[in-house]
Amino acid sequence: MIESEADGLQIAAPQHSSSPSSAAIALVTLAPLALAACGDGGGSVATPTPPPTPAPLLTAPQVSRFLGQATMGATKADITALATATSYDAWLTAQFGAARPSKFWDFLANNGYNVVANINSQAGYEPMVWAQLISSSDQLRQRVGLALLNMVVVSIDGLEVNWRTPMMAAYLDVLWDNAFGNYRTLLDAVAGSTGMGIYLTFLGSLKANPKTGSVPDENFARELMQLFTIGLYQLNMDGSLALSGGNPVPTYTQADVSGLARVWTGWTYANSDNTTPNRVQLPMINNAANHESGSKVFLGTTIPANTDGPTSKKLALDAIFAHSNVPPFVSKQLIQHLVTSNPSAAYIQRVAAVFANNGSGVRGDLQAVVRAILTDSEARADPTSTTTTFGKLREPVVRLTQWARAYNVTSPTNLWPFGNTSSSASRLSEGVGHAPSVFNWFRPGYSPPGSTINTAGMVAPEFQLVNEPAVVAYVNFMQSLIVNGSGEAKPDYSSLTALATDSQALLNELNLVFAANQIGATTLAGMKTALDTIAVTTSAGINNRIYAAILFVMAAPEFLIAK
Amino acid sequence: MTLDVSRRAFLQRASALSIAGAATPFVMNLAAIGEAAAATASDYKALVCVFMYGGNDYANTLIPADATNYPLYYNQRPGLGYTQAQIAATTLKPTVALSGGQQYALAPELGGLLPIFNAGKMGVMLNVGTLVQPTTKAQYLANSVPLPPKLLSHNDQQSYWQSSSPEGASSGWGGRIGDLLQSGNGTATLTCINPSGNAVFLTGKSAVQYSVSPAGPIALNARNSLQGSTAAGTFLQTLMRTPVNHQMETALSQVTGRALDLYGSVTTALAGAPVTTTVFPKSADPSSSLNAQLQEVAKLISVSSQLGAKRQVFFVSTGRFDTHDGLVTLHPILMQNISDALAAFYATTVELGVANQVTTFTGSDFGRALTANNDGTDHGWGSMHFMLGGAVNGGRYYGTPPLVGNGTTDDIGQGRLIPTTSVDQYAATLASWFGVSATDMPTVLPNIGNYTTKTLGFV
Repeated sequence: MIESEADGLQIAAPQHSSSPSSAAIALVTLAPLALAACGDGGGSVATPTPPPTPAPLLTAPQVSRFLGQATMGATKADITALATATSYDAWLTAQFGAARPSKFWDFLANNGYNVVANINSQAGYEPMVWAQLISSSDQLRQRVGLALLNMVVVSIDGLEVNWRTPMMAAYLDVLWDNAFGNYRTLLDAVAGSTGMGIYLTFLGSLKANPKTGSVPDENFARELMQLFTIGLYQLNMDGSLALSGGNPVPTYTQADVSGLARVWTGWTYANSDNTTPNRVQLPMINNAANHESGSKVFLGTTIPANTDGPTSKKLALDAIFAHSNVPPFVSKQLIQHLVTSNPSAAYIQRVAAVFANNGSGVRGDLQAVVRAILTDSEARADPTSTTTTFGKLREPVVRLTQWARAYNVTSPTNLWPFGNTSSSASRLSEGVGHAPSVFNWFRPGYSPPGSTINTAGMVAPEFQLVNEPAVVAYVNFMQSLIVNGSGEAKPDYSSLTALATDSQALLNELNLVFAANQIGATTLAGMKTALDTIAVTTSAGINNRIYAAILFVMAAPEFLIAK
Repeated sequence: MTLDVSRRAFLQRASALSIAGAATPFVMNLAAIGEAAAATASDYKALVCVFMYGGNDYANTLIPADATNYPLYYNQRPGLGYTQAQIAATTLKPTVALSGGQQYALAPELGGLLPIFNAGKMGVMLNVGTLVQPTTKAQYLANSVPLPPKLLSHNDQQSYWQSSSPEGASSGWGGRIGDLLQSGNGTATLTCINPSGNAVFLTGKSAVQYSVSPAGPIALNARNSLQGSTAAGTFLQTLMRTPVNHQMETALSQVTGRALDLYGSVTTALAGAPVTTTVFPKSADPSSSLNAQLQEVAKLISVSSQLGAKRQVFFVSTGRFDTHDGLVTLHPILMQNISDALAAFYATTVELGVANQVTTFTGSDFGRALTANNDGTDHGWGSMHFMLGGAVNGGRYYGTPPLVGNGTTDDIGQGRLIPTTSVDQYAATLASWFGVSATDMPTVLPNIGNYTTKTLGFV
């Protein structure tokens, strides 16, 4: 059975205990670099050396832009704090070091969703996701987690089994727990998760049966290679194709898929008790009777006959992880999700080099990779106002969380009733964890046909979600949210009220928070003229001007394309 | 209203034309000239592509039913295959028998299509798939002929099927047909219409995909007034459609501009659509909107003259065909859903009096393996497809029946078929009926010259 929550807001009113909702990013206030440079000056009498020049502080637009890449949305307070108190590196270190305030699983448990009545429903799923993305203080983890979910896809709509919501929660926790860990560890946890086991149909896969001619299910074997690790063609470290005689070189053959499929046999739930969701959270175990006992040959690796399931899994993932494609393949996609759709070859190469070796000989260190992506000169250079290619279309769900975070949307009883935002006719054309297939909502290689992007040989992944109904539905949906919020989840525009009498000041504030000042003067002037037609002699008028101003900013192409 | 929009759209394209200057593709000039001269074609035709995302399991769609081949089928998928009793009622009786007494049956859940086949309005395409040129197993094994890149990969084969290029393709063959024929339409942007989202299939070199929701175009709620201000509502639309510098802003604004431009005329036309009485059954697959998409296509066809359209290409789709497991549970539901939707859509075109002018055909990423992986089947290549419509020379098979088995000369293992008819030939047949000349065919299908038999005569 498919449970459709297309436009439905969450109706169930579960019990809820206290919520983890410290909205502000935990910023560690470190001494500015200039002070640190003073060092331990010994006891010598001061020589007349001039005081060291203070390191230039980051500007507010620069910080807003950075937070737009690294979080689910900047707030004015975050911008102010980061612009005056610390550095990107220190902020990253603090984010990497912060423990998760709460897990997805805990939200379900604490709010009463993991009960038998929900064994065959998605109850609690949307509140769980929105609560975490919008209100959790570990914002870098939220953003990287979302990127990983876009790459190593499981969709709750494809989990047509009991306890699908806790199964999806456990899967999201695998990604979020490992977002700052090692990619090899992440792969191991993914390959052991019941969510992936069900989604790519290898939970329950059987070894070949000579009597019936049945062969092992190839689903996970194929997509593990194509989508999660190495892709279809041999790559150079800068992400370009490694050609042979002018032709691309396939990374694997059908025989490799069939060989690797033999590893993913015999996997099943760790216990048989279906009365609680416990077993969907436990890693799968291997039932030796159903595991392929012959040799497993793929990618030039041979796992000998009679190797057990867990050992085969380790050897297979080791072999794949060692493939030279993994660093550029994974690094490029992470860059695309966080910073820009068309990174330069040099940028990819710099990040891939860190993926291959974090400086301490470790391959796959995601902390190092994320730091390399966000602090790279290509990411941090101020974009010129005339750039025509750098950047990306903001992902629809991140636009919603930007708004919600900027204006402190809270949900007093943890309902977070934004629902499933997948509808392209009335919502965002994207729902977190509702991808239509393992190929995600949008592909890293998508290039809108008929566009100059395509003619230029470039890609724009998020444009896979752009069409006539979608662009209008987005504006309609945001207008409704901006004005009304959703149920008990209401915005707080009190910080804007005083600005509303001055449309220019109002727009300047919104431009900084939402768009890192990337909306140009001409556009702002048009907005101002239009906003000035809304009288602010009453509080209703003030509100209307604020609502219209936010909608203008969020509908502006200069906002939607984040440079 | 219609005229206004059409004229404005033409003027916009005309100015784009002058900017583009000498680099403008020839077809775009043709389109603009044709549009200026207004429609000349006196008839109306529509092509409707029904795409089954995920790779349809061909063997449980069209089941070998004769005494020789049925066991070869069933033995590759015991427990997954239909029993002979199950397929007795849907065994096809074609007007042109296959050699050697070979027979096929429709999946029982496709029974709703049987009357259409028997009436000669549905044909069956055997073992069609993506190719660059005719390919034998020996050539495949020796890697001695060019093959479509990235075989068995979902996204790439979806793209190759629709465009003759893997993911990242710049245009699809539905759109390239549109390039050649949109000049006859009053509003060129209403040539290639997609009620299911985005597909490369419908974008040409100059033809654009226009998407509607299954319920029609979406209104911008603030189009008349935003927070009480008419001026703000007007400005919002200017803002949304005005790019500044960036190529992505341009691409985004083009789509937005179309949405805002066409909303009024299309909505007005649809409001006057004749009421049809054909009932689309409740979707057998509750997650599919195929019924709604096809109902919208029928409505758009019914108002084509109001919109000045003479040639239109539509794309509808439905998913969940990637049946690696649960085949016996899920696939019958998907077949029922396809059968109900196609039969009701065909009946609607009959009711509207346009059955002879609408040709519907199916497509999918690829076929699947014949051999089971216990409870499902894995990715394949060639597959079986259907063509329906009053103009179809139906009631029979086209193409060559593949050998049934694992490791025959017609498969690359596990019954993953090597296509004996290419999508290019399938497409050229449809394009030819639609009005694309043999001379123009290579602009629609670059590889069609690799085939001696270019069109198959099924329509």
